[in-house]
Amino acid sequence: MSTCVELKQLQFTWPGAQLPLLSIPELTINRGERVLLRGASGSGKSTLLGLIAGIHTSGPGQVKVLGEDLAGLSQHRRDRLRANDIGYIFQQFNLLPYLSAMANVTLACQFAPARRQRLAQQSISAEAENLLTRLGLTAAQQRQPAHQLSVGQQQRVAAARALLGSPALIIADEPTSALDQAHRDDFIQLLFEACDAQQTTLLFVTHDATLAPLFPRAIELSDINHGGGGRDV
Amino acid sequence: MFKLAIASLWNRRGSVWLTILAIAVSTLLLLGVERIRVQTQANFSNTISGTDLIVGARTGSTELLLSSVFHIGNLSNTLSWQSYEHLRELPGVTWHIPMAMGDSVHGFPVIATTDALFERFKYGNKRPLQFAAGGSFQQHDELTIAVLGAEAASERQLQVNDDLIVAHGTGEISFSQHDAHPFRVVGVLKRTGTPIDRGVFIPLEAQGLVHGEYLPADEHDDHAGEDHQHDRHEHEAHQEPPVYTLSAVLLGLENPALALRLQRTINTYRGEALSAIMPGLALQNFWRTLSLFERALVAISVLVVITGLLGMLTTLLASLRERRREMAVLRSIGAGPITILGLLVVEAFVVTLVGVMLGTVGLYSVLIFGAELLQQQLGIHVSASVLTLRELYLLLAILLAATVLSLFPAWRAYRNALADGLTVKL
Ligand SMILES: Nc1ncnc2c1ncn2[C@@H]1O[C@H](COP(=O)(O)OP(=O)(O)OP(=O)(O)O)[C@@H](O)[C@H]1O
Ligand SMILES: [Mg+2]
Repeated sequence: MSTCVELKQLQFTWPGAQLPLLSIPELTINRGERVLLRGASGSGKSTLLGLIAGIHTSGPGQVKVLGEDLAGLSQHRRDRLRANDIGYIFQQFNLLPYLSAMANVTLACQFAPARRQRLAQQSISAEAENLLTRLGLTAAQQRQPAHQLSVGQQQRVAAARALLGSPALIIADEPTSALDQAHRDDFIQLLFEACDAQQTTLLFVTHDATLAPLFPRAIELSDINHGGGGRDV
Repeated sequence: MFKLAIASLWNRRGSVWLTILAIAVSTLLLLGVERIRVQTQANFSNTISGTDLIVGARTGSTELLLSSVFHIGNLSNTLSWQSYEHLRELPGVTWHIPMAMGDSVHGFPVIATTDALFERFKYGNKRPLQFAAGGSFQQHDELTIAVLGAEAASERQLQVNDDLIVAHGTGEISFSQHDAHPFRVVGVLKRTGTPIDRGVFIPLEAQGLVHGEYLPADEHDDHAGEDHQHDRHEHEAHQEPPVYTLSAVLLGLENPALALRLQRTINTYRGEALSAIMPGLALQNFWRTLSLFERALVAISVLVVITGLLGMLTTLLASLRERRREMAVLRSIGAGPITILGLLVVEAFVVTLVGVMLGTVGLYSVLIFGAELLQQQLGIHVSASVLTLRELYLLLAILLAATVLSLFPAWRAYRNALADGLTVKL
């Protein structure tokens, strides 16, 4: 089984901070694995996900994603890798407020040729509509600008954007924080279906204890992280 | 990508409109000033044509030109009636227009002359003067009559058969008004777009009369009844001249090529110190002295455009702050820095294009709907002709400058770290 994410001697210190926030000797996540990442608020979960997605920069050899050393890639190649192969549901969604829900989702394919290719059979908008509908957004809501949607609706749009075009790795940073139970279950089911179909790796952050049994593997950040920058002193 | 730029612009339409407006206004000003400059020059050289020589008492060529063609300034030197009689006998002279200036009506210059002016004077592309109403002096027996230029008539709201009072001196208010001689308007000229429009034209004899230089035949002659048919435009040599002095004489020659030789002859005339100038040449020289003013106009409009573009640059830079997140989101879903750069440059281009088009539309609406007002208030005549090549180049230059300027904020956005915008909390 090939590895999807491989961390080695990862050190990360926010500029201006005295102690490193993250100091992880080793972590390996295999392809197709579903991993739950847990940790106290402020412990560095989002930062770790950002490092894996190449949003923050790490030292050479510290983070490998899908066989590529992120630090060794050019900025452009890293952007391409993230666009094509990583679906990231941000904790703050990061939608473009002036675009419609639909346009926000399809935008994910605009800069990601590989995702477009994987969608070859269906049209991009048809698949986006399908995803949004399954996540419970009506046709009218799909056409509304993102800033007019409720927080939970925005979160579902962000989820649809990450899933479109079946990326190899899905990073979900508390994707159900704003959802009620019914919508949360719909989302989880959709997410798992997508992962099963495509052998997708899933890295999932949540504080929701009821979701824990669904994940074969759970990582407690404080267990693997020896850095202390995030801890309250 | 283009659609994205438009959507983003639409989202910020409030401040974008202001930028567009600033660019539109600077475009309007640049084009407007350019038009006024070019057309003023054209109007300027159109003030007189077909006249081969202008003769006055010895003076500078600009002075003579200003007083005889533009009716500006007061020639202190005059030429005598005898000199005029000499001039019109010169070989090759086909027509001659004597002019005596110095009086005014409510600020409009009074030009004492003969019917030759209406018959011979040409402006623009050899266009003769035409009457909008009434006619020249010759159909009338009385002396105190006047023909008005279009502007003089419309501004004083005078029509044929109205009376007007001529004041001595050129000021708006004058103390010695020739109250005794109200002038009757007998003709109104069509608009020419030249200083003729502001002129009040009276017969030479009338000028002599109000200045006490000339007594009509019937006042010092007993045979009043017989003299009624007397043609005052053909004074015999021995008769009293209508005026003793003239300000200038316009001469038309049989052959324009003779002008240079005749000029020399006149300049060396022994009877009196005279100056003869060729109007075309004098106009050109005079325009050259005005070029400083012209360049100042161009400089001002260029500065206005720069201000408009700097305004756009500031808005772009300011919007970068609020758009950090937007840029970061685009980066996070795979848009490369080049895309971000392109997005900002496209935006600047679109904004400037709309601004420039709006400015051009604005210019034409001003030209079409405001032409009347411009003409009346400022005396500037600007026509709504199609854009010239030079104007198109100016517009392109604005577009190019804006695009180049926008590279600066675009480059800053390019350099902004990806994480920078993503970690900005909502
Ligand atoms: N842009 C930043 N610059 C400097 N420090 C930061 C930045 N973002 C986060 N941090 C710091 O890093 C630490 C971890 O932040 P992070 O967002 O990774 O926590 P988290 O585990 O995701 O918390 P939560 O569960 O509340 O989302 C915090 O102490 C925070 O102060
Ligand atoms: Mg977090």
